[in-house]
Amino acid sequence: MKMILTLAWRNLWRKKKRSFITISSVLFAIFLAIIFDSLERGSYERMIDNLVKYSTGYIQIQDILYEEEPSIDNSLLFDESVHLLLENHEEDISYYVPRLQNFALAATENITRGVMVIGIEPSHESKLNDLHERMVSGSFLLSDDKDVVLANGLAEILKVQTGDTLVLIGQGFQGVTAAGKYLIKGIVELKVPEMSNNSLFMSLSAAQWFYGAEDRLTSLLVMPHKPSNTHQLAGKLRAGLDAEWYAVLTWKELLKDLLALMKFDMAGSMVMMMVLYIVITFGMFGTIVTMMIERQREYGMLISLGMQRYTLAMVCFVETLFISIAGIIAGVALAIPLVLYFYHNPIPLTGEMAKTMLDYGFEPVMPLSADPALFIKQIRIVLILAILVGMYPIYKIFSLDIQEVRK
Amino acid sequence: MEIIKTKNLSKIYNDNALPVKALQDVNLIFEQGEFTAIVGPSGSGKTTFLNMIGGLDKPSSGEIHIHNTEITRLSDAKLIDFRLHNIGFVFQSYNLLPVLTAKENVSFIMLLQRVPAKWMDARALELLRQVGLEDKVDVKPAKLSGGQQQRVAVARALASKPRYVLADEPTANLDTASAMNLLDIMSRLNREEKATFIFSTHDQRVIDRARRVITLVDGKVAEDLKVKN
Repeated sequence: MKMILTLAWRNLWRKKKRSFITISSVLFAIFLAIIFDSLERGSYERMIDNLVKYSTGYIQIQDILYEEEPSIDNSLLFDESVHLLLENHEEDISYYVPRLQNFALAATENITRGVMVIGIEPSHESKLNDLHERMVSGSFLLSDDKDVVLANGLAEILKVQTGDTLVLIGQGFQGVTAAGKYLIKGIVELKVPEMSNNSLFMSLSAAQWFYGAEDRLTSLLVMPHKPSNTHQLAGKLRAGLDAEWYAVLTWKELLKDLLALMKFDMAGSMVMMMVLYIVITFGMFGTIVTMMIERQREYGMLISLGMQRYTLAMVCFVETLFISIAGIIAGVALAIPLVLYFYHNPIPLTGEMAKTMLDYGFEPVMPLSADPALFIKQIRIVLILAILVGMYPIYKIFSLDIQEVRK
Repeated sequence: MEIIKTKNLSKIYNDNALPVKALQDVNLIFEQGEFTAIVGPSGSGKTTFLNMIGGLDKPSSGEIHIHNTEITRLSDAKLIDFRLHNIGFVFQSYNLLPVLTAKENVSFIMLLQRVPAKWMDARALELLRQVGLEDKVDVKPAKLSGGQQQRVAVARALASKPRYVLADEPTANLDTASAMNLLDIMSRLNREEKATFIFSTHDQRVIDRARRVITLVDGKVAEDLKVKN
């Protein structure tokens, strides 16, 4: 083995310029592949992170029928059994966020509009998002508040301010009439226009009273200590609940349409990556073919002297691997500081693009992903390509006619 | 002791198109310790014969017995192994590995034979001393003259302690002084190490040193002379 490594290593430096060019092509290819992949993943990770934190949570417990028909009549009973289940998995659960959502009509003196009433437990909700820090005026809800907080868009539409009152009318749990007059305690800024124009927050207890849905929730968001444990925790919760009444969904199931869209988008980027991989493969292949032509006489001589073909093939294969590994190490070493820098300091966006992102409630930045899996994936791809290219000399050596090449 | 025996050895190239009879019914026996030159005009079959008894090419018909082994029946891998342990080669164009030093080139064959490192180093140094290159052990081929490279090739050929050494036109690329020096060394190694040398050559200087001269003409043995040297 030492001989194989020595020969392969020294052969690498026989044509320094050629080796350097090949190593450089692998270096740039893996560097670009990591940066592209990191940019794309970074944007998606940020988007998913925002959606999970502001909307879905990592895990949601719902009534079994709610996903198909999201109505308050399909709300779940947040009873002792669910409380006990959450307590039993305390070591896996960071916190949970109960919500009760339903439609209602909001009326002021002159304007009436359909709104989404979101009943929240303020102390739990503040762990999930920063709603309480986004107050435009007034103050945020407390657990036993009877008042409401409006999103800024809705406040504008209804032409109301903090301190004004509005009337809510709707249909509660199993057809009960829901009606009440509420003081506006504050106005909160929401950046997604659709949410901003329709959302009205009240404390969970007030919402349950308003809709006649005592102890009922439309969703119970569960946040695990480690997001990577989401799937396992969901399994445990599923096992502890009656499947006839409860559904436990992970964020992947809740955002499946978005994830499918992302996959489709990523397939487009994959085409670009494929071009990059083809460039690497042909770069390496060109070097190997030239090397084989240049050295075939030498290989013939080595076989004549008594070197087994498989030993010689190993020398060539290891040489290809050395070139690839050198390129990979250099490429990754170059990419790591850049990725880490832009992971901690995302690229700020300006102009229309920034405005669009702000409109959707996202920070106008382009973050890079520093997920080690991304590096491992690219390293693995380039190594597989190197192994494939390394098959060529093996094939050539096993089919080498030593009489022909010695002429 | 008989080490090589060929029986009705024939080689025909271009079997299908225009057949060329490179060797025709060659029957020869080589004894241990011979210093033999195979001569003849270009195309007479010298190199073909050397390739046959070197296990580098297969005959069209006939047998080659090397110390009781019929080598034409060996598989490719077994033949390579056979060459490694039984035959030393000296090529016209030296064919040293450019990335290895003189000592490493000599050791290389022993490395393939899995000779323990301690013995390998000692033998490589001893052989390089015998060919007069003890001061060039760590020098790579590119920095050696043609004569010096060929001397390293001779040391390499003997490193594996082969039954015989085949040398294809070993002096063809050397000036007179280098050629004579190389022949002196090979004669001495033939006497002292009891190494068997078989050359294919045009070079009269080599023929003059040989103790047996076999002349091939049109693939047939035209003359087989034992000479007193």
